[in-house]
Amino acid sequence: MTIQKNIEMRIALFLILFSFGLWPTMGTAAQDKAPKVRPKPVLRQDSSQVQVRKFEEDDIVAYRSQKEFIYDDVAPARPDLWERFWRWFWDTVGSLFKHSSIGTWGKFLVIGLVVAIIAFIVIKIVGVDLKVLMGKSKKVTVPYQESLENIHEIDFDEQLEMALGQHNYRLAVRLLYLKTLKKLSDHSAIHWQPEKTNQAYVRELQDQPYRDEFARLTQQFEYIWYGEFAIDQTAFEPINSSFLTFNQKMI
Amino acid sequence: MEQEMFNQRTDLTQLSAAVAEIRQSLGKVIIGQQDTIDLLIAGLLADGHLLLEGVPGVAKTLSAKLMARCISATFSRIQFTPDLMPSDVVGTAVFSPKTAEFQFRQGPIFGNIILVDEINRAPAKTQSALFEAMEERQITVDGETYHLHEPFMVLATQNPIEQEGTYRLPEAQLDRFLFKIEVKYPSLEEEIAILNRQHQLKTADQLNEIQPVLSVEQIKSLRSIIKSLFVEEKLLAYAAQIVHETRNHKSLYLGASPRASLALVNGAKAIAAMAGRDFITPDDIVKVAAPVLAHRIMLSPEKEMEGITTADIVAQIIKKIEVPR
Repeated sequence: MTIQKNIEMRIALFLILFSFGLWPTMGTAAQDKAPKVRPKPVLRQDSSQVQVRKFEEDDIVAYRSQKEFIYDDVAPARPDLWERFWRWFWDTVGSLFKHSSIGTWGKFLVIGLVVAIIAFIVIKIVGVDLKVLMGKSKKVTVPYQESLENIHEIDFDEQLEMALGQHNYRLAVRLLYLKTLKKLSDHSAIHWQPEKTNQAYVRELQDQPYRDEFARLTQQFEYIWYGEFAIDQTAFEPINSSFLTFNQKMI
Repeated sequence: MEQEMFNQRTDLTQLSAAVAEIRQSLGKVIIGQQDTIDLLIAGLLADGHLLLEGVPGVAKTLSAKLMARCISATFSRIQFTPDLMPSDVVGTAVFSPKTAEFQFRQGPIFGNIILVDEINRAPAKTQSALFEAMEERQITVDGETYHLHEPFMVLATQNPIEQEGTYRLPEAQLDRFLFKIEVKYPSLEEEIAILNRQHQLKTADQLNEIQPVLSVEQIKSLRSIIKSLFVEEKLLAYAAQIVHETRNHKSLYLGASPRASLALVNGAKAIAAMAGRDFITPDDIVKVAAPVLAHRIMLSPEKEMEGITTADIVAQIIKKIEVPR
């Protein structure tokens, strides 16, 4: 009984929906069937009075004299020598690339070479230090002689003889000190480096029995060399013997 | 015999005695920090301004105050704050109702020893007030120039730039400091000694213990001795070469100025005199190279990010320059 009622209700709902869905179509179809009435075209006429305006001759003359309204083409100036050079240059570069034999890599190579040459010329003209660009500092020339600084290349006996012959006792003390540094370096007591200070060598000998003696020799050298204390033969003798005694201990 | 030969050409007796007394006075309060004390004394003798840098609590201000106490001279203290104005430092013109005229009232810069505490907490505008005073020892206000008293010494303290609320000091100002002294943490033994002393005596009491060692006239006299010390020509070239290298170093974008070369030689002279010599050695130059140069040079940004310090670069430069001997 219930099933029967459900079916009836479904059919009724279908019919209602169907009739609503069909209704707008039916209306349109009815409209299509009605005869079309087109409105009759009406020609409207403008009856207002036309006022004719004329250009003022003076104004036209005035406008003609203004440069904004002068449209005459000006003939381009002839290229000068510099422009002609560049035109020729680029034509030449362009013609190189027209040859198929060069190939893509060849083109890049030529461009790279040209860029490198231009960059080199510019850098030379501007005066840029290439070492700075490469991260290396510029070598500075110092106004003092360094030729004797490599203690392993000095002939100490010969140099000492020369210094004493010239009564240059200050230089003689310097040579004695450098000779002592060489001895210490030869015996691996110090690690010789020209950038180290004298006190750095004294500190390196911290555990050595002759450290204090070397410190005293260093002091003598520093007073005479850096302090420019005057030294004669009499003063030189005891200093010379203290250096000789120290060096003999190292043998 | 040798000692007789090396008798000083310059009488350094007074200087040595003064240095020993200052060391002893500062040593009563400051434990350790021997390098800091030596550089403070060297700066005083070399007629330079000093910048003490360190993290909070390492006795920067105390060191500066003690140094000032050792000298019988006018002492001023300026606490640099973010709202400090240049007129708070140099002084300002005030209207006097009695005379109906503006009168210049001197600021705290008019003293002999000026302690500028936390200098990098004030902006560049205020810092610039110190430029003329530090270099030319004078102040110009409203078109009027006032000369400062001699001796004139600025002792400034600052926290590292990484600390909160600090500004980077202008390069022009940093260049005016003879030394930047880095005050480091004490060692464990030193810290224990600090605790032992502190729980017995308050800092204020310790400060009162310090008596002036030098008068203004004595300082002037010692400074003139330092100026007259002998410097071998090769060592001048050595100092110049160190400074010159800072201008070519790949890790630096700002090298040191010629003022740094002068500071290097003057600082080395003071160190030599403190060691009892009337001439300088390469070691004296090396000893002051980092305090003189480290604050005057600036790292390239990439090196700064790598954690390299300017002191490292100075050490690198020294290692590659041949010592004249």
